[in-house]
Amino acid sequence: MSVKPVELAGEPAEPVSGALLELSGVTKYFGGLAAVQDVDLVIKPKEIVSVIGPNGAGKTTVFNLITGIYRPTSGDVRLDGRSLLGLNPDQVVKRGITRTFQNIRLFNNMTVMENVLVGQHTQLKANLFGLLFHTPAVVHEEADARQRAVELLSFFGPELVARQEEYVVNLSYAEKRRVEIARALGAKPALLLLDEPTAGMNEVETLEAVKYVRRLRDELNLTILLIEHKLAVTMGISDRIAVLDYGRKIAEGLPEEVRSNEKVIEAYLGKSATATASQNEASTSDQKAIE
Amino acid sequence: MALFLQILVVGLTTGAIYALIALGYTMVYGIIELINFAHGDIFMIGTFVSIAIFGLLGIGTNSQPTGWWLVAVLVITCLGAMLACAVLGVVIERVAYRPLRNSPRIAPLISAIGVSLILEDVGKLWKGIEYITFPQIFPDKDIRLGPITISTVDILVIVVAVILMIALQWMVTSTRTGRAMRAVAQDREAAALMGVNVNRIIAITFFIGAALAGAAGFIYGLKYGETIFFIGFQLGLVAFTAAVLGGIGNLVGAMLGGVLIGVIESLSTLIPDSVLPHGGAAWHLAIVFAILILILVFRPAGLLGQQLPEKV
Amino acid sequence: MSTLMTNRILLPARDTRALLVKWIVALLVPVAVFTFVWSGEEIVNAVISPGTAGPNLPTDPVSLIQSAIFIALFYLAVIVLAGYLVAADSGRRGMLSLWLDVLIFALLPLFLVMNIGLIIGLAACVVIWAVYFFARNLVRKARHYTPPLALPSLGLLDAEQRAILMGRAIAGGFWFATAFAIVWLIADLVYFFTGSLPPQLLIWVVIRTLLLPVAGYFLGRLAGVLALRRTLSAHANGNGNGGDATNESTRRISKRQQLQVLSATRVREEAKDLVPNDLPLRSSGAQRFYLILLVAFVLFYPILDPFLFGFGTDGRLASFGDAGRYVILALGLNIVVGFAGLLDLGYVAFFAIGCYVWGMIGSTQLTNVLNVAPIDPHILSWLFWPMLLGAALVAAFFGVILGAPTLRLRGDYLAIVTLGFGEIVPIVLLELDKYTNGTNGIVGVQSPAFFGIDWSIITPAPYYYLILALIALSIFANIRLRDSRLGRAWIAIREDEIAAASSGVNLVNTKLFAFGAGAFFSGVAGAYYAAKLGGASPDNFSFNDSVIYLAMVVIGGIGSIPGVIVGALVVYSINELILAQLDTLASDPTNFMFFVRSAIVHVIPGFTFGNIRNLLFGIVLVVIMIFRPEGLIPSARRRRELRASTEEAPEMGSLDVMPGTPGFETEVRVE
Repeated sequence: MSVKPVELAGEPAEPVSGALLELSGVTKYFGGLAAVQDVDLVIKPKEIVSVIGPNGAGKTTVFNLITGIYRPTSGDVRLDGRSLLGLNPDQVVKRGITRTFQNIRLFNNMTVMENVLVGQHTQLKANLFGLLFHTPAVVHEEADARQRAVELLSFFGPELVARQEEYVVNLSYAEKRRVEIARALGAKPALLLLDEPTAGMNEVETLEAVKYVRRLRDELNLTILLIEHKLAVTMGISDRIAVLDYGRKIAEGLPEEVRSNEKVIEAYLGKSATATASQNEASTSDQKAIE
Repeated sequence: MALFLQILVVGLTTGAIYALIALGYTMVYGIIELINFAHGDIFMIGTFVSIAIFGLLGIGTNSQPTGWWLVAVLVITCLGAMLACAVLGVVIERVAYRPLRNSPRIAPLISAIGVSLILEDVGKLWKGIEYITFPQIFPDKDIRLGPITISTVDILVIVVAVILMIALQWMVTSTRTGRAMRAVAQDREAAALMGVNVNRIIAITFFIGAALAGAAGFIYGLKYGETIFFIGFQLGLVAFTAAVLGGIGNLVGAMLGGVLIGVIESLSTLIPDSVLPHGGAAWHLAIVFAILILILVFRPAGLLGQQLPEKV
Repeated sequence: MSTLMTNRILLPARDTRALLVKWIVALLVPVAVFTFVWSGEEIVNAVISPGTAGPNLPTDPVSLIQSAIFIALFYLAVIVLAGYLVAADSGRRGMLSLWLDVLIFALLPLFLVMNIGLIIGLAACVVIWAVYFFARNLVRKARHYTPPLALPSLGLLDAEQRAILMGRAIAGGFWFATAFAIVWLIADLVYFFTGSLPPQLLIWVVIRTLLLPVAGYFLGRLAGVLALRRTLSAHANGNGNGGDATNESTRRISKRQQLQVLSATRVREEAKDLVPNDLPLRSSGAQRFYLILLVAFVLFYPILDPFLFGFGTDGRLASFGDAGRYVILALGLNIVVGFAGLLDLGYVAFFAIGCYVWGMIGSTQLTNVLNVAPIDPHILSWLFWPMLLGAALVAAFFGVILGAPTLRLRGDYLAIVTLGFGEIVPIVLLELDKYTNGTNGIVGVQSPAFFGIDWSIITPAPYYYLILALIALSIFANIRLRDSRLGRAWIAIREDEIAAASSGVNLVNTKLFAFGAGAFFSGVAGAYYAAKLGGASPDNFSFNDSVIYLAMVVIGGIGSIPGVIVGALVVYSINELILAQLDTLASDPTNFMFFVRSAIVHVIPGFTFGNIRNLLFGIVLVVIMIFRPEGLIPSARRRRELRASTEEAPEMGSLDVMPGTPGFETEVRVE
């Protein structure tokens, strides 16, 4: 299923000093608790980077800091060299970053089509006059938006296109995830943040998800940052992995490096495990080890 | 300076009444996150019930009970008003709020507005649309304490309010039920899992909050000597502002807020004609609301409340 | 015209005959009631032969033309409707249940309106319908009723089936018109022989009896065309896909294929639009006709009123003018509360601002305050039109200003703050009496001016048309707003603010826009009210009013445009008409109401019907919140939202069987 990439995603980023997204010394305190401490991360264009770590390590907080839901206590977040600090989430979207949520936050009482249309909100220019009087420009814009929504949905196959008028609350979990991604794509992002995209999925669905995450990068020229718990997925899909524990980055590098990193094993399994740690064959069926 | 102190005293008395009403708002909000619009009207019913009990005891507007009989009358009426209002509060919760506990937030809010309307008309039907005199049977003498004058009625008001607030504070911190109430306010599901009968605790909360409003009604009537079916609304809103000022969900905050609002209202009467047409007194409601808005915008947790960030 | 077709019409097939009987009876009875029991025939006769019209009935050319247009529209529309319904019926539902429907939804309103007046009659209908639905739901639950699946009846129609459909439509139109013509003929002959029919009209009777069947044939054709437009055809219907047909990924998905994969409730919603249909009387195709009839009725009402209701036209028109402002207020509040989900309890503030803007400009108040010479009243009158917009914009401006502090507040706090503003604004208007004339209010506000129309405070008809125009514009604007990207943004922030912001919706602007848009409409209503009342005073604005406006939206159906209109009318009737009327009736010792009131007064001394207004509202609000929170006429979305917990299918994992295919629902209990 091939779709013209340029229509659906943002322009490929210029490799300025190689970095698309840059976190430097990002720290976030909630009261006295440091949720994220001094995290540095550089993401290059068209990379797939995973952020992993035990529960509570601060991974989703990092996402929230990038997208403007929280403001860092200190440190900086730069996209294409420009700081994102102080921006509201909708402004971050305009700059080119969109995301999905761990618990799937779709608009439950809207249809699939409507959800994906909301995702395109920043791309639509209709003003009050136009929408009241249905000027040709606005009518065109709406039709084009619907057309584009269908294209976005068809990225995942024809099923969602057929169900575009269904209320989102009636969809299966895996379908909801896809709608959420389609919605996120609506804003023509350059960087897509996926928060546990395979959570709650069985093996078949997980494989499907891995495939389309790759396609998102390959066909749509997206850069992808994802949080993921399933080690098999992470190992298989990532160009690089960053590991967080208690809010700090404890390791970063290629999948093989990270997998055998002592600190990482210790973070997940505890000190005694490092002594007896054996190489885990990261087969596609082995998902239990890290939870 | 003497004027200032005097104003403070006036503020304290009205503030005590506000505090009692504010406690009801803050307790209910703390436990089920509902602004009980009908609470102010429960206060109004409290005033009416007090008059009715006076009637049953043979006390009219010109009666002058004395001695032990006076004390008995006061106690019986106060407790009677408290009990009646408490029952009313529980009934309201059961009928109008409990069925909506799992509905979207707007539903119980509208239901509360509906109950408020019902109570107002009940008041209208019961006692008509004119002001009703409240027998002022407590001997009203002015006592000079240095630069300020305070009347015996005011002292009574403050004393009753303080007693009730201390009783409430003790109950909430030292009894099992009080602990259960605090637990349900913090995390309803966890409390239920710990064996707390949530429905009963919520009913008890309404019981106590409404009882306090009934007491407030009683002493309000004693002090001001008259009542009418619509006082619940305005007083309720002022008391709610007090609860928010102090920090909604926080009992001490409600008491503090009540007194503060009373004092601020009192001070506003000092504002001269030149600043606000007709003088500050005519604008006091507007001033109170302005305060409410300012708090909610700049410090929604109030003075003693906690800022809780939303977990995303 | 082939002989086959003629045969089909004159000797319809058996199933068509059943349909014909079903629908002709269903439609003929209400139309006959309107024509013979009420004043339908009277209007027709007045048009045909003005000399025979009774006294007090308008017979000037303009009125006659208007009446003629209405009559033509009415009967023609009904004939087309008959043809449409016969064609659109899937035949699965029995005659009796349909006739029961017609009884409740057509005959009942007719009788009530005929006997107790338009607004009260309609309000009573709404209440009765609500009770009926409630009772019916109870009965259904008790009998474990499941509605038949919509999907099997939505067949793809091949050419022959389409021809049958067309034939049915034509037969429906033709036979209905013929039946009606015969009934009318008989009625008129009876009138003639009893002397009530003037002989001049006999010619008309003959012409009409001959013309109606012919008209029926052609109108039936029209109905058939309209019905066929809403069928599922064998080739792909567009669903908005413009795209390149050769591009596989944007291949058109036909409507039929879409329906097959949607859930049962969704299919049922969509099925309402399509033909053939299980409930054609309630389908959106038929609704179009109801709309035409409604608009015609409302538009020509001032002419029709003397025929229908006799004396007192002026009084009624004046009260409709008042009711109209409630409708606009409800529509405006609907934007804030319904679309954007922001609970505004201080809406009266913007209404007050609108009133005072025109109140001050349209009278000598402003010029007095500014110490300039008063403007010539004629110019002032013309100034009304731009100031209508001006007052609305000022109100919108304040909507934005007063909304700004609430932006970060949660639902209940937002309500309180808006309530606070709703209290502060009237206080300000009252106390700044140097500018606003305080408790005395403003008097001497000019009526608007328009070419050739004589306006004054006591002429109701111009105000009636004015409010109609304003309502039409408001509805138009509301629909456009709702279906635009702004409307979607509002629903998104109502559902989930964080997700909306993370999808690019600017929360601040969107919410402020909601406040502004809502306030805009109340500004319009305010200016209108000031002009109609001829003044503005702080007594008109209180928290109680804000509650009433909220009640209109809640009772009618939050977020639903037709719902809040109905809600406004219901609330207006209760507020202004019903209770006041009951009290008037109760002061008449010969009236039944007198005894009722006396009995109650024994127990409750302070009782009057007017006194229990808030009590009634309060009870209604509580009951509605508990039993029907989506309101009387809910929007589809709201009904889903508020019923979802009790009805919907459980969360589905990856199943082999797609929902929507036949037999799926028997395994998974839905509804």
